[in-house]
Amino acid sequence: MAKVLLHPLGRPIAEVVEEKTYRSNLEQMEALNQLLAARREEVRRGWGEEYVERVHAKGKLTTWERIELLKDPGSAVFPINTFVNYGITFGQPPRTSPAAGVITAFVRVHGRLTVVIANDNTVASGSWWPMTPEKIERAQEVALRLKLPVLYLVDCSGLFLPEQAKTFPGKLGAGYIFKMNSLLSASGVPQIAGVLGDCIAGGGYMPIISDKLFMTEVAYMVIAGAALVKGAKSQHITSLDIGGADIHVHLSNCADERVPDDRAMIARIRQEVAKLPGSAADYYRHAFAPAPPRFAPQEINGLLPVDHRVVYDVREIIARLVDSSLFWEILPHTGEEMLTGIARLHGLPVGIIANNQRLTQHPERRDRTRPGGILYREGIAKMSQFSRSCDADGIPILWLQDISGFDIGLEAEKHGLLGYGSNLLYTNSTNTVPMLTVLLRKASGAGYYAMTGRPYEPIVQLSTPVTRLAVMEGRTLAIGTFHSKLDDNFQILATDPKERAEIEAGMKEVEARIDADMDPYKSARQMDTDEIVAVHELRDYLTTLVEMCYQSIGYRRIKNPRIWSMHDLHVLTEKV
Amino acid sequence: MFQRVLIANRGEIALRIIRACQRLKIQTVAAYSEADADSSHLEQADRRVCIGPAKSADSYLNMAAILQAAEQTDCSAIHPGYGFLAENALFAELCTQAKMTFIGPPAGAMRRLGDKATARQTMRQAGLPIIPGSAGTLSGWEEARALAEAIGFPVLLKATAGGGGKGMRRVDAAEDIEAKYREAALEAEKAFGNGALYLEKYIVDGRHIEFQVLADAYGNVVHLGERECSAQRRHQKLVEESPSPVVDARMRNELGAKICSALAQVGYRNAGTVEFFRDAGGQLYFMEMNTRLQVEHPVTEMVTGRDLVVEQIRIAANEPLGFTQADVALQGHAIECRINAEDPAQDFRPHPGLVAKFVPPESGNGGDGARVRVDTHVQPGYRIPPYYDSMLAKLVVWGKTREAAREGMLRALGSFTVTGVKTTIPVHLQIMQDPRFAAGDYDTGFIGRLLH
Repeated sequence: MAKVLLHPLGRPIAEVVEEKTYRSNLEQMEALNQLLAARREEVRRGWGEEYVERVHAKGKLTTWERIELLKDPGSAVFPINTFVNYGITFGQPPRTSPAAGVITAFVRVHGRLTVVIANDNTVASGSWWPMTPEKIERAQEVALRLKLPVLYLVDCSGLFLPEQAKTFPGKLGAGYIFKMNSLLSASGVPQIAGVLGDCIAGGGYMPIISDKLFMTEVAYMVIAGAALVKGAKSQHITSLDIGGADIHVHLSNCADERVPDDRAMIARIRQEVAKLPGSAADYYRHAFAPAPPRFAPQEINGLLPVDHRVVYDVREIIARLVDSSLFWEILPHTGEEMLTGIARLHGLPVGIIANNQRLTQHPERRDRTRPGGILYREGIAKMSQFSRSCDADGIPILWLQDISGFDIGLEAEKHGLLGYGSNLLYTNSTNTVPMLTVLLRKASGAGYYAMTGRPYEPIVQLSTPVTRLAVMEGRTLAIGTFHSKLDDNFQILATDPKERAEIEAGMKEVEARIDADMDPYKSARQMDTDEIVAVHELRDYLTTLVEMCYQSIGYRRIKNPRIWSMHDLHVLTEKV
Repeated sequence: MFQRVLIANRGEIALRIIRACQRLKIQTVAAYSEADADSSHLEQADRRVCIGPAKSADSYLNMAAILQAAEQTDCSAIHPGYGFLAENALFAELCTQAKMTFIGPPAGAMRRLGDKATARQTMRQAGLPIIPGSAGTLSGWEEARALAEAIGFPVLLKATAGGGGKGMRRVDAAEDIEAKYREAALEAEKAFGNGALYLEKYIVDGRHIEFQVLADAYGNVVHLGERECSAQRRHQKLVEESPSPVVDARMRNELGAKICSALAQVGYRNAGTVEFFRDAGGQLYFMEMNTRLQVEHPVTEMVTGRDLVVEQIRIAANEPLGFTQADVALQGHAIECRINAEDPAQDFRPHPGLVAKFVPPESGNGGDGARVRVDTHVQPGYRIPPYYDSMLAKLVVWGKTREAAREGMLRALGSFTVTGVKTTIPVHLQIMQDPRFAAGDYDTGFIGRLLH
């Protein structure tokens, strides 16, 4: 009886948390959500109204206007790496580079999810800043791994030259974009490019390696623009005359077709996407249509305490993320500090691995409990086995991290957590099934790695406004740094008031510095995480990501639910 | 927009296309044969390239020479005009692979709708009435006879690849059908390399009514109303007008909407004309589709105020139409007379030679608010080459009403002086003065009866 029976999960919010706690959580989370919304808006404005007007004066649309036209009416756009370069400046006079001058987003076009890479023409005419190549390459990587069509909206005046040393030479320098173009092409991933303005020097390769390339009447592609040609060859000629549609569409065949303007370009690109195979997501849904959770995702705002030390029930979070709030918990009685099981997101099977924050019983010393959110032997083994089974079955894995790290101490070493942990790392490193990671709150130490943090290459890693990504908490490092001056209760040993004050100040300084580093905007700025998403938005992001995992056929194993390894796991561990 | 367009045609249409390009600030390259080396239209083009000797097959039909001329002059697109290569799907395909945009429909749409049997099927599926006849091509004369007996004589056997009356036979009785079938098939085989025939009911005393359509690359299709082209001699149109005296707004809207949806479905693009035959009872039947600009397009331009050649070029450059069906309004009435160098007294035999005097009526506003337009490449002293068609000019007159247009045309014809060659002007004067034409009561047999 290889039935897949999912069970109702979760309770009404009133039964889960007290009204007062809910309100207090909500208030704190809403403040963070407002900050997120304001910062997104700040990035979305690019360099501001003046530059929007400049774009319009040239008869062009802004990049966001283009994306709004490109997407299916009424569908949502899911950007990634919005906050790259957020809050830092380059050059003299100092200049900001909102979104690193390029928008990368998942956009639904004729029902298919596409990866859109669009230079932001309101930020230095779409130039490439430090981190811009990495951001483009990241989006290309997602497309390559999930075999999703890539749509390039090119409007780029080239490298931001004052900072060229940071964008040109390295492994992930601008040239790697074209290597990714080539790999995408070689892997049969459709690429469609529209050139809607400047496309100078290396930028030219990005569209030309694409399967389809369209140019508007103001677009040009050149190895060198008019200024360089004038300098090198003393020829006075416009860039449009050197590399406009008349040259590249009709004479050089570097482009396929010309279109009059941005609107026609978007219409033309949409036509091409419609020619591609449709999404296989519905094929893999079997009988299950997308269904909303029975408990509103908005409630997560009041469920997840902003204070990372406060415990909550992760099952109630999952109940607010998954279809119909149904869940099949696998290995429920082993390693209870971890939660593993199957749910559906938009009708599609997903394996979920999450940290249970609550106190759980010690498996051998039944009289003792131990804190959750920590990796112990059974939990690690359970994750490894579940992860392997998902990989075997082709079920995408969703990691929900709120992890303080591995257990430490004599028992941990005697149990050989290094070995069990390494086995988990090996499993996750060699999985071929798509994995998605959400840093719900804490993502500390090796726990961040073990649960498929960014270095373990999840397809996408999302942070929330309360994510704290670090080796350890600030307080922990402060204690570690000053441990010789503290007693067993972490109190300062010194009695001299001056010395006590110095130690106190030193510890505070360490704690503050680490806490600042754990700011999710800082990791987003460095591209250590792919996007900051409000917790009530997670459901929509995740359903979209899961659909992306199932859209293309033929490139990875996807078993039908009758023949899952998951059933073996179930039958071996439960009385069936 | 294209920087430079090559014009692969001659005569008045070459000049007409140059004018449209000038409106769009496009440079033009005139491709010409040795016989046209002194044609006046060459002076209007920015550049000129000789593509071969006088014979059409060596010049205006020489695909390789035309493409090479376009390449050498850095052109972006080619306008084929009408006739010559305008409906040649192979040429459209060769242009596409050379990245010279063919200003016309894509080769696939041309093939699909240019094949008469397929076009009939397409239109029938779209709910357009088609002349009763075979569903596709015929398997042999036996099938033709059975079908003819079912729908009733007379019937018309037609070559599926046909045009210009070749491979076409009228059959009035069952006993004639075998012989006529063999004749038509043989003629079609010789002329088009394709002997396949289809059959349809022959409509006696019908009217030729055609709808002008425009379709862009984004699936937008509009019609620009109809033209009446019943004034024909031996399937050659002499006078065209728009709107038709026998099509009312309701019929125009209903048929037009069906045509547009049919063409949207097959992915048609650029300008095209859907031809209908109207029987004495007033029923319209789909006949065939012309996948090109028509000679008589100016009457549509006069009543809709739209420049069809400009629209063709814009569509070819992937511009969206920019207007909808609701924006199309027919205003007033326009009549076109084809002024050919032909001798009406000798069964309209072409009459090439030296045009000594050539004084067309003045273009612009005439009396009664009528407007006169003359499309011509001819100037005094022009020698009409014997190799091509004999058209000298298209005289188009617009008036607020059909009667005003007719009167304006009479005046214009009266002031049109051509000496040195015989022309069709006297016949046009006769037509315009005929009470049946004046009443709008004429059919495809009209000119035959008028002249004999």
